Amino acid sequence: MQSPKFNALLSKYSTLVIFIIPALTIFTMFVVLPIIEAAYYSFYRWDGYGDPNKYVGLKNYKYLFKNKTFILSLKNNFYIIAISLFLQLPFALLVALMISDKIRGANFFRTVFFLPYILAEIVTGLIWAYIYDGNYGMVAAIWNFFGAEPPHMIAEKETAMIALYIVIFWKYFGIHMMIYIAGLQNISKEVLEAARVDGAGPVTTAWRIKIPIILPTIRLSVFLSILGALQLFDIIMPLTGGGPSNQTHSMVTYLYYFGVMRMKFGFGSAIGVVIFLICFTIALTYQRTLMRKD
Amino acid sequence: MKNLFKFIIGSVSLFFFSSVQADTIKWLHLTGESSPEYPNFVRAVEEFEAKTGHKVEMMYLENESFKAKLPTMLQSDDRPDIFNSWGGGVMYAQAEAGFLRDISDVITDEYLSTLSAAAANAFVYKGQRVGVPRNVSQVTWWYNKDLVNQAGVDVNGIKMWDDLLSAVKQIKSAGITPICIGGKDKWPVHFIWTHLHIRNGGESLFLESLENGGWDRPEYIKSGEQMLELVALEPFQDGWLSHTWPDQAGFFGDGKCAMAFMGNWMYPAQKSNSASGEGLGDDNMGIFSMPMTPGALGDSADTLGGINGWLVSKTAPDSAVEFLMHLVSADIQNEDAAKGAYLPVVKGADKSITNPLLAQVANNIGNSQYHQIFYDQFLGPDIGRVVNDVSTDLAAGIISAEEAAQLVQESWEFNQ
Amino acid sequence: MFSNFRSYYMYLFLFLLAGIIFIPLYVSIAGGFKTIGDLRTNSLGLPTEWIVSNYTSLLVDNKFWLFTWNSVLYAAGTTFLVILLASMTAFVFAHMKFIGSRFLFNYFILGLTFPFATAILPLFLRVRDLGLLGSVWAVILPQIAFGLAFAIILFRGFFRQMPSELFDAAFVDGCTYSQFYFRFTLPLSTPIIATVAVINLVGSWNNYLLPLIMINSESLYSWPLGIMVFRGEYITDWPKILAFVSLTLIPAVVFFLALQRFIVAGLTGGAVKE
Repeated sequence: MQSPKFNALLSKYSTLVIFIIPALTIFTMFVVLPIIEAAYYSFYRWDGYGDPNKYVGLKNYKYLFKNKTFILSLKNNFYIIAISLFLQLPFALLVALMISDKIRGANFFRTVFFLPYILAEIVTGLIWAYIYDGNYGMVAAIWNFFGAEPPHMIAEKETAMIALYIVIFWKYFGIHMMIYIAGLQNISKEVLEAARVDGAGPVTTAWRIKIPIILPTIRLSVFLSILGALQLFDIIMPLTGGGPSNQTHSMVTYLYYFGVMRMKFGFGSAIGVVIFLICFTIALTYQRTLMRKD
Repeated sequence: MKNLFKFIIGSVSLFFFSSVQADTIKWLHLTGESSPEYPNFVRAVEEFEAKTGHKVEMMYLENESFKAKLPTMLQSDDRPDIFNSWGGGVMYAQAEAGFLRDISDVITDEYLSTLSAAAANAFVYKGQRVGVPRNVSQVTWWYNKDLVNQAGVDVNGIKMWDDLLSAVKQIKSAGITPICIGGKDKWPVHFIWTHLHIRNGGESLFLESLENGGWDRPEYIKSGEQMLELVALEPFQDGWLSHTWPDQAGFFGDGKCAMAFMGNWMYPAQKSNSASGEGLGDDNMGIFSMPMTPGALGDSADTLGGINGWLVSKTAPDSAVEFLMHLVSADIQNEDAAKGAYLPVVKGADKSITNPLLAQVANNIGNSQYHQIFYDQFLGPDIGRVVNDVSTDLAAGIISAEEAAQLVQESWEFNQ
Repeated sequence: MFSNFRSYYMYLFLFLLAGIIFIPLYVSIAGGFKTIGDLRTNSLGLPTEWIVSNYTSLLVDNKFWLFTWNSVLYAAGTTFLVILLASMTAFVFAHMKFIGSRFLFNYFILGLTFPFATAILPLFLRVRDLGLLGSVWAVILPQIAFGLAFAIILFRGFFRQMPSELFDAAFVDGCTYSQFYFRFTLPLSTPIIATVAVINLVGSWNNYLLPLIMINSESLYSWPLGIMVFRGEYITDWPKILAFVSLTLIPAVVFFLALQRFIVAGLTGGAVKE
């Protein structure tokens, strides 16, 4: 005879096991193990067949950090982060401050500004690839209209990165704006009313009251922006494919072109490990310091 | 589920039709429907299906997608039975990885004797025959007669690299774009640099470098410097780094530039990619070989080009090889050669070439003692792509001649 | 007066910005109706002659619908399974005390900082060695795995806020854990299910890298793969490409406008609630 208590426990633990095992298995097999394997493969030269057997030590990493294209892709990633943080986010905040209040047309503007974010990256890249096209594109048409020789924005190494920044700005400022609006709308009416009674104008209110209150939200959007920038891939592929002559690679497109397409499992894994370490370090320090208070 | 289904169907059909098993042969090719050889693709399939009862499933991928997709495709169950190849190191790597099938047991000596031996042997790796050749090609300068005349250039006088440079200058000063190039795809650019290698270093230095390294030797740095001389003249069309090979062919076919450095597949491609679909008239086009360079170790008759063919993947049925023997046959190759689709590999089919330009190319290859296969294919998937990258960087003026040579050498060392 | 003046400039700015957002979308849709020559000389205006064949030829193309259907399959499969598996796991974390629960939860959280591109090659090998390459599972399983961490966090937070009286009462009535999960937890969780669904639907629908590497047969292409192959074939025939682009644009915009509340709440709220 089993006691009811034992039955209850049995039921609890069987539920626990049944509920957790599928997620745990899939997560371990497709997320955790591949990362560990990447670290292991990165010390080998391997075409992916049989067991990795050609141990090369740190050769993959050495080659990587000597490789100009990789260094450039690393720099590009950090430029994108810098532009996002110092131009895109302040701009998004400015727009959010304008339309977080119940002004006329606020909903319309929110919808429009958020729209690019829901478009697929591939589609965004293709649309802009057309716009920038030096022969058929919109930019070229505008230049031609003024009788000027049209620029080939994504074909010149001087302008290709700028072209990419513009697309990133266009696509992503809306999500940050929306996050800020969500934060701004949570500010209690009393606080704002008190500020108004004290005679604070809109600029002072924004600067002294609104922004300090939504600081945790801003920190979060900074974090999302950094991690997003480090994983940039889909937009670059249709837009420049990393060109002209490898000037606009991000670390992930570099990984795709130099690791995946060439089926270099060891070298490609080393690239993956570097990206992972950068993301992990940033996430960790960020959570340990800035986001701890939140 | 799908596999189970396949298995059941497979077992059932095996049970009932074990004597006449019908295969489905998956054939991956790069030939668009507007290409001149496409009708004969269809014809070969129809004839083969009618004759044998097997089915041939044609799959088309555009050139760049093909190169991107093939490595993963070969590892999956979706792998094609027959697919396009440019031979050389990329093919060796595929063979080493065990993707290819040795077809010696199916292919007949009688059939092999109909093919040019040099072409057929390009698809033998370590004693295993892994494919069948289809065509040969040569990379030359193509020019638009009207535009060149308009600029007052006499192409017959272009014997040395400097002659080419002055011709480019002259064309440019006449307000005409001298050279169209597909910089985005990179490989069209590497033809120029590597053909200079062939001139400057010749066969002996190539083989030496392949064996012992030395891709940064002075002869190869010299190629880079020569290329930079050309680049300094800004010879390419505006936005060339964002243009692909089909763009390049289209521009040339539309008469937007005076010259292009390309293989003889330019002939059909400049038609199919031009705005009108007609391209330049036969009498408005000409070719000349890469000029010689001062102090060159190579011979002026040496050629850069390809021996293209069809590879057979490891799980392909025997019928796939039988289909290839039907596809690369005298009947079809004679007809395609007459249409100017490509240069055939079946013995004697070159006599069917009516187009004087292609006849000239066939003649060049016949006279060549050293026909170097495209570097990007011959040097394997990794070094080959580095060569493409650095050639484009050179043309974009991002790196120096020394750096370019150095990068190839580094990649070679890394792959040892 | 000053305020009016300022708001005048503010609206000018906002409308200008809205224009900048709209123009690329407008030129794409209009461009799909143009001839190539028209597109070159008249890229901002309406088509001088409306060419509908670029659109109609796609709409009668079986491949176009096949790619769309495949994407639906990937998105639906991923979303359904993420919701099921993540909510079950989160349920355990929210309502059951057991040794190692904290450790396990942190183990899942770790997944948040793993961009899946970093392990793409080992992931490819895993999928290949399981014999799944070129099947729908090659896309769905990794997508689930990488969607779990965030979904578990969202579900756990939500489940914890459910009134505990409900739970106690159900237990007195002899309800087991699994019965409680199916009878009470899931039906009461529609808001958070909507959030998780939106995140995963949009993510899967737009995913490019994973299908690019895992899918080889055209019969399983997702639409982003299809559109890139199309682009490869038509290179400079921009009207054709823009027509394809617009055809994917329109449903996305309609879907967004119709379910705007859910989508914005899902995508921003999901982020904020973390």
